[in-house]
This record gives sequence, structure tokens and C-alpha cells, in this order.
Amino acid sequence: MSKTWVVTFETYLRQIKSWSFLFMILGPFVMIALTVGISYVSANSSRSSQQVAIISDSKVLRQSYLQQHQDGINTKITTTAAAKKALKANHLAGYLTLSTSGAHLRGDYHGNKAMANGLKAQVQNFLTQYQTIQNYQAAKLSPKQKQTLAQTPVLKQHVATKDGATNLAKIISFWILITMIYIILITYSTITAQEIASDKGTKIMEIIFSSTTATSYFVGKILGILLVIVTQIAIYLLGGWAGYGLAMHNAGIKRLVSANQSLVDSVVHNIVNLNLLYVLLGVVIYTLLAAYSGALVSKAEDASKAAQPVVMLGMLGFFAAFPFQNNLDALAVKILSYVPFFSSYFMPMRVINGTVSLAEQLGSLVVLLVTIGLFALYIGRQYQRLMLQTDSENMWQHLIHSFKH
Amino acid sequence: MLSIQHISKEFGPVKALNDVTFDVPDGQILGLIGQNGAGKSTTFHSILNFIDYGGSIQWNGHTLSAEDFDHIGYLPEERSLMTKLTIEQQIIYLARLKGQPAKVIRPQIDDWLQRFDVKGTRKSKINDLSKGNQQKVQLICTLIHQPDLLILDEPFSGLDPVNADLLKQAIVAAKERGAAIIFSSHDMEHVTAVCDRLVMLRKGNVVLRGTLEDVREQFGKTELFVTTDWTTEQLVALTGVASVTHRHGNRYVLHLTDAAAGPAIFDALTQGHYIEEFSQQPPTLDEIFRLKVGEEHV
Repeated sequence: MSKTWVVTFETYLRQIKSWSFLFMILGPFVMIALTVGISYVSANSSRSSQQVAIISDSKVLRQSYLQQHQDGINTKITTTAAAKKALKANHLAGYLTLSTSGAHLRGDYHGNKAMANGLKAQVQNFLTQYQTIQNYQAAKLSPKQKQTLAQTPVLKQHVATKDGATNLAKIISFWILITMIYIILITYSTITAQEIASDKGTKIMEIIFSSTTATSYFVGKILGILLVIVTQIAIYLLGGWAGYGLAMHNAGIKRLVSANQSLVDSVVHNIVNLNLLYVLLGVVIYTLLAAYSGALVSKAEDASKAAQPVVMLGMLGFFAAFPFQNNLDALAVKILSYVPFFSSYFMPMRVINGTVSLAEQLGSLVVLLVTIGLFALYIGRQYQRLMLQTDSENMWQHLIHSFKH
Repeated sequence: MLSIQHISKEFGPVKALNDVTFDVPDGQILGLIGQNGAGKSTTFHSILNFIDYGGSIQWNGHTLSAEDFDHIGYLPEERSLMTKLTIEQQIIYLARLKGQPAKVIRPQIDDWLQRFDVKGTRKSKINDLSKGNQQKVQLICTLIHQPDLLILDEPFSGLDPVNADLLKQAIVAAKERGAAIIFSSHDMEHVTAVCDRLVMLRKGNVVLRGTLEDVREQFGKTELFVTTDWTTEQLVALTGVASVTHRHGNRYVLHLTDAAAGPAIFDALTQGHYIEEFSQQPPTLDEIFRLKVGEEHV
């Protein structure tokens, strides 16, 4: 096994066996579980207080309403006294009393707040329908007359649904992609910078450099960290796949996904293409920069400072993408899609928009790949000198000296 | 054989090494001595290609390459290990970087731990070991791959006499195996005990070189070890005596201005009678070291 792989696996195993990796992996799952759990508990506890009771002296009238509407209705409360008591105890949002006075139907709503618009429309609709039926019966109309009176105007909307879905897919893909890039970059830039900086100036580096070349060691470190990233992404993909499988057992979610199948397909298509390569190469170039940044600090104790410049650059790319989410054809987007460190955010935006040719995508990829190659070569050559120096110069002074070499 | 030819190194205006030349043949131990800042670590860093330098450093007739690193054992002056690893993990990791398979190294670990009397097992965390035991583990990491060239920067620093003896045994064992060994030390006693040859650096320049005997003989037999009833004042008054050091009781060391003064002093002290001790010796390495350092300040 080459020495590069020895370093790679040592770095990889040390990272994935650490508590911080476990917390990092479990963090999102714990957050999702907490959010779902809290929402569920909150929804359950507030469900009764948002319900409405239907009270009526006429069983037929009450049943007629309940046959049509059951969501948000507390069917257990049947008397005004019980409804008042429940309302006072804040177990009901309100109660609706339905009554008839001769041929006239009447509904009275009692609550601490006005009826919600949805409920109001629902009640209004029921009362109108029921009153109409009563009116027809009182007027003793023939079936033909009833049919004539039942005629209603037609209102039909003609919307270009396909374009709407595509635009929604673009927006969702845009957010998923740049958030994914941002989170991975920020997390691993910090880990990489600290990993490298913690070795800084320690004599273990002298022992290691008396065993292997700085370039071989540096490449090993970077590969080790990239393996950790791939492991995390694989765990999330497997977790997502398993979660999707489980969620499909829920009829509601299955219905929701089926209803939006084309949207889901578009989002998946927007992400799983050349854009994934941009995510990976973006991670590589930011990891290299983070390693360089880590090697520039004065001593191991400054490890926490090492990631700051890289994190700032990552944030700049992330926030610079915001203004263009609805204007993916802007000139700035076109220019930045070729600039390394920014192209990882901006070229995927153009790919999602579908307004960039394959040649342009490949051109941007070549620029990114060449930059990564040159950058790795430069750092590899500087690495030993940077890692062994133990003077008291700050990070920026080291950077200037590094350029002079 | 390690051959260092005319190497020079400057750090800005400071000349850290100036035309330094010496060889370390296989199966020999060379002591590199000198004050702090004399250029010892810079010499080691040059050999290990940590820094650029002028001149030539060759190993068995060729410039040291990455492949040669596998045959080098290096112990830096400041000790440092990966404290979160176990002893076994640390030894195997560094041995694998020397091109040694884990399956070759793993069975040897217990034997090395026993040989250096390390207080801990192969599963002990480095962090849980005492400083002395961490130092022993680092020595094991330096030696376990049986290097052909050993570079030890202040290896005895921080070791108690018992552990210093263990290290001396390990160094001598490596020499008997045929390794070329170069080490630096401030402690002339250790240098005297194990070195075949020595090089003394002062401000980056070689000021002494040769076998221990050659170096001492260069200074002549200017030390007289005597046991006498004479007082210090009487001894200082003798012709050719520069100074007198009172050892203990009636034992003294007379430092001579000229080795040729010895016979006359012998006659004066004995006057035809028996005396318990009269031994004319060259100066000790420690004295030579102080002498050469002292020249710098003259």
C-alpha cells in the first residue's frame, strides 16, 4: 500500500471514529425527529382547542352537516351547555348552533374569535344548499323547474400548468443544491483547516516528513477527508432512500408524491446530473483552500482561526447566489459560473435553468479542474515548509512569504 | 555511508552552516556537538531535505531520495506523538510510513516495549503514558524498522540514567547491525560513552573533528591528576601549572600550560618518594567543549 493511502486511511478512520463525526451524522436526523415530534405533540395538543362543535335541536339538520363536513368538528359535544363549558375551558374554538324558524334556516356561531374564512365559507355553503332544498320543497316545483333553477354559470381557468411546475422545480432544485453545497463546504472546510492546523509546528510532522514526501502526505490527508465526505453523503443517501421507503407506507404521503410526481422527477433530474460533479469539485477546491489556510496559521493553537477565510469565501458564494434565484440568466451569473470557488454555486444554477450549453458546462469544468490541479501542486510544494515553520508570524505574513517562495 | 560535503545554509543574514564536511561510515557512531544554535539541528534538517542548502549530501553514493527515507530513523529534539492513538496504532502507523507492513511490525511490539521497559501495554493510549514512557515509545518508533541511517537529535535529553543506559544499548546494537548513526548531545559523558568519532560545530563552522582519542590528543596531556599533601597554593606555584582544581580530600587536578612540564612536576611532588596518584591525561571532552566555547568569547 502506498504511503499516500496509509495517510488517507489513518485520517479517514480517525475522523469517522470521532464523536464529532457521529454527532455530525446524527445531527440532521435528530433535528428532523425533534421537529416532527414537537409538531406532532403540538398538533395533538392544539387539535381539540381548534375544533368546532355543531349543536342543533334538529338531529336531521346536525347529521346533514356532519355528513358533509367532519374535519375540525368535535362530534362528541351535542348540547349548548357542554359546548359553553368546553369553550370556557379553551377546549373548543367555538360552536355553531343550527336552527330553523319556520322555513328560515339560521346559523349562530359562538367563539372567542371570528370564524376562520374556510369554516365561514363551509357553513355559508351548507346553509345556502340546505335553505335552497327547503325552498324547493316549499315551492312544490316540478323536477324540470328544479333543474332549470339549479343551472349555475361556468368559470374555467386555463393555466399553463407545465411551465408553472417547471419553475417551481427550478426554485426547489436551486435551494436544495446551493444549501447542500454550502453546508458541505462550511462543515468540511472547518474540519480540514483544523485537521491540518492541529499538526502545525508539531515534531510529529518532522517524523512524518522523514518518512514520506510532503506532497504524498498532503494528498493523503485531502483524500482521507474527501472519503469522510463521501461516507457522510452515502449515509444521507441511504437514510433518505430508507426514509422515502418508509414514508411511502403512509397513504397521505404516497398520495402527495403521486400528485406531484412530475415535480419530484424534475427536481431529481436537476440535481442528479453534472451538478453533482460541481458539488464534488466544489468540495475539493474548498478543501484544498482550507488545508492551505490550516497550514498558514502560526501554531496548532490557532486551528480555530484557520477556517475563517474559507468559511467567509463559502458564505460569499452562497449569499451572492441569492439575488439571482429568479434571474438565472443574468450576466453576473454567467461570469461567476466560470470563476473557481464561485462556479460551484453559479454553474449549477445555469444548468438548472436549462440555458447553458454542454460546451459551456465543460469549459467551466475544465477551468475548475485545471485550477484544482495547479492549486494542489502549489500547496504540495509549499506544504513541508509551511508545516515545519514555527516562527511567530501571523497567517497573512505566512501567506505573503508563501507567495515569495 | 552518509557523506556530507561542504554544506552551507543561511537564514537571512545569519549563516547557520558554513562549509560543513564530514562522513558517517556504516557501523559507526558520530557525535555532533556544539552549543545551542551551533547548527546541529540545521545539519539534520539538511540531511532530511527539510530545508534547501548549498553543497552535497549523499547516502551510499547518491543524493537522498524519497525511497531512502524508508531506511532512515529520525528522532527530533522535541518529542511528539499522536496522543489519541494507542501505542500499537502509533508504532504501526509510523512503521507503515517507513514502508513496513503491519503484519511484520505487530509481532515485534511487545518485545520492544519490554526491551525499553515501557510502563503500559500495546493497547495503552499515548495520552495516558508518562512523559518518559512517551519518549521510549518514540524511540521504538525510530528504531523498530531497523534503519540503516539513524539521526538522533538530543536522544538522551530527559532520560534518567537507567533509561539513558537502555538507549545506549539500543544505539550500540544498531551500530553492531551496521547502521550509520549520527546524534547530537550536550552531554559529553554520553558522547564519550558511545561515539566513535565526533564533530564539533560553532556558529555553523566545524571547529573539531576526529576520533575521541585524536581530538583529546590534539590538546596534549595537559591534565595532571595527583594525590598529594601539598596545598592548592603550593601546587599553583609550580612551574607550568596554570590552575588547580581541588577534587576532594588531597586529590587535585593540575591544569598545565604545557604538557612538557609534567616530568618536572612529578620530580617536585615525589622527591624520590612514593605518591598514591600521578596521572597525566589529555583534557576531557567536557573540558575541550568548554575550551572551544570559551574561545568564541575571547
